[in-house]
Amino acid sequence: MNTKQTIAGAGLAIGLGLIAIASVIGFDTMQMQVPPSYARVGPQIFPYIIAIGLAATGAHIAWKSYRGGDEVIDEVEPTDWKSVGIIVAGLIAHMNLLKPLGFVPAGVILFLSVAFAFGSRRYGRDAIVGFLLVLLAYVGFTYGLGLQLPPGILKGLL
Amino acid sequence: MDSFLALMNGFATALTPINLMWSLVGVTLGTLIGILPGIGPALTIALLLPVTRNLDPTGAFIMFAGLYYGAMYGSSTTSILLNTPGESGSIMTAVEGNVMAKQGRGAAALSTAAIGSFVAGTLGTLALTFLAPIFVKLALLFGPAEYFSLMIMAFTTVSALLGASISRGVAALLLGLAFGLVGTDILTGQPRLVFGYPSLLRGIDIVVVAVGLFAVGEALFMASQSSLRTAEILPIKGSLFMTREEWRRSWKPWLRGTALGFPFGALPAGGTEIPTFLSYFLEKKLTKHPEEFGRGAIEGVAGPEAANNAAVAGVLVPLLALGLPTSATAAILLAAFEQYNLQPGPLLFSGSSTLVWGLIASLYIGNVMLLVLNLPLVGLWVRLLSIPQPLLYGGILVFSTLGVYSLSNSTFDLLLLFIVGIIGFLMRRHEFPVAPCIIGLILGPLAEAQFRRALSISQGDPSVFVTHPLSAVLLALAAAVIIVPIILRRVKHV
Repeated sequence: MNTKQTIAGAGLAIGLGLIAIASVIGFDTMQMQVPPSYARVGPQIFPYIIAIGLAATGAHIAWKSYRGGDEVIDEVEPTDWKSVGIIVAGLIAHMNLLKPLGFVPAGVILFLSVAFAFGSRRYGRDAIVGFLLVLLAYVGFTYGLGLQLPPGILKGLL
Repeated sequence: MDSFLALMNGFATALTPINLMWSLVGVTLGTLIGILPGIGPALTIALLLPVTRNLDPTGAFIMFAGLYYGAMYGSSTTSILLNTPGESGSIMTAVEGNVMAKQGRGAAALSTAAIGSFVAGTLGTLALTFLAPIFVKLALLFGPAEYFSLMIMAFTTVSALLGASISRGVAALLLGLAFGLVGTDILTGQPRLVFGYPSLLRGIDIVVVAVGLFAVGEALFMASQSSLRTAEILPIKGSLFMTREEWRRSWKPWLRGTALGFPFGALPAGGTEIPTFLSYFLEKKLTKHPEEFGRGAIEGVAGPEAANNAAVAGVLVPLLALGLPTSATAAILLAAFEQYNLQPGPLLFSGSSTLVWGLIASLYIGNVMLLVLNLPLVGLWVRLLSIPQPLLYGGILVFSTLGVYSLSNSTFDLLLLFIVGIIGFLMRRHEFPVAPCIIGLILGPLAEAQFRRALSISQGDPSVFVTHPLSAVLLALAAAVIIVPIILRRVKHV
């Protein structure tokens, strides 16, 4: 009985989330100032259609998950939220540190967080592999392909 | 024999040393990413887009197409030896192939997969060579109304055929269409869904969405399911030279797989998965050894592996002739055409025939390279499978963030990547298909442009879509794809 309630919960949340996205699109479209000459086949028709479609699909999914039926969105396996959280933290750290610290340190931090989340506890190996990989990518892409990656604290060294 | 002459010119293009090199780079990289689980052709081509911007388009497309073919070859190795499909087109290969490997017949499974891929890839390319010009003639009949209806048909088929349920497919499609809305409206210059962020005015790049869904979402999902993290790599046992018996049991499934794969690839049905499923069940039905199915039947490897390669050739027909992507990878390839300001369709065949025919010719050459790469050298590739998963996913995310950042050197794109990644994780977790989202993102703005063009030609009269016969037929087909399954289900319930 208890599991049945969580089953409905996931689908219900997704359905309501889709309705929320639909209302954001609908609201944004209503705010548009459209010159009258374009009013007929203007830039608003498609957003409205998509918003209505999303809201209808969201309502359908939410209703089915609430009532139970053949399209219930359920949980398959227990989720390791800790690992998800570690990668999320790694990604957030990466985007914030990329410019101040530079591509190489930020990349190594991201690499280590992902490796840790996937269960690796061989920190030494991970750090060496991560550092070499990121360094190789930096050198290859900046000198080989002319990309502009932020050097950060290693400026002048590379 | 226009096509034949054009093809010969194509070989002249494809056989230049530089283009041979691009083909070799493409098929090698394709085999590599095909073998590595967690990284597929759509993701790889998306990551290559920012760095190939300044390349010669012919070379770039020869590389991309080789990569797409190569991924289908490589993924069978992973399915057979690791029991995890390298790509979604090789899910069925794992069923019999892995059992064969456990019984010490792994080498025979790898052989029938590689030779089957070669047969199917070559026959598929042959069909592409002669069908593409016919499709181009068909495309000349298309006006804005027909194009719009064709895209609507693509939308409904991808949402109905992929994923666990129609509502999930439709939700994924609409999400992709919503991503496509963001940015400046092409006709009026109005900002849409920009919320005051100037960075959003140029829209959300397809690279961000593809990488977010395929790399970040996938990594989060794999990390969240600890049971998916361990897999046993089986050693290759047996002889790579198939016995007479194995040849006898393989050649028909190869041909049947090709016959199923090619048309399904050309239809807007999401590419390689569905024909491989159909091929497997067909072989199971037709086999003279039904007792072996589930216990390592070679037909169950030969058929699906041929089907997925033929499907890739099929996918290229509507992509090149109509600009219609039928799989996620094809959607990324369409974005690549846009990057080079090329317009697939009749104009591409007349204006850039060197590129098109060079590309098609390179597929024949690529198939030969792939057979060599994947049969005698398979032992080398297998070592890739021993890369530990933590390092593999760490590397995937490092290169993903690199590719996305280099789009416009902005950390804002990394924020978008993160958001799309979370959405991708939720989609993967709750079995929403990803391909409709990618196809919706790339085709949505094109569909809208055709829609508005059609209406401005007809001076606002919406009946054009049903009064043009071709357009009406396409819309009817689109409706049928959604309605027929619902009716069938109702009938079954009664």
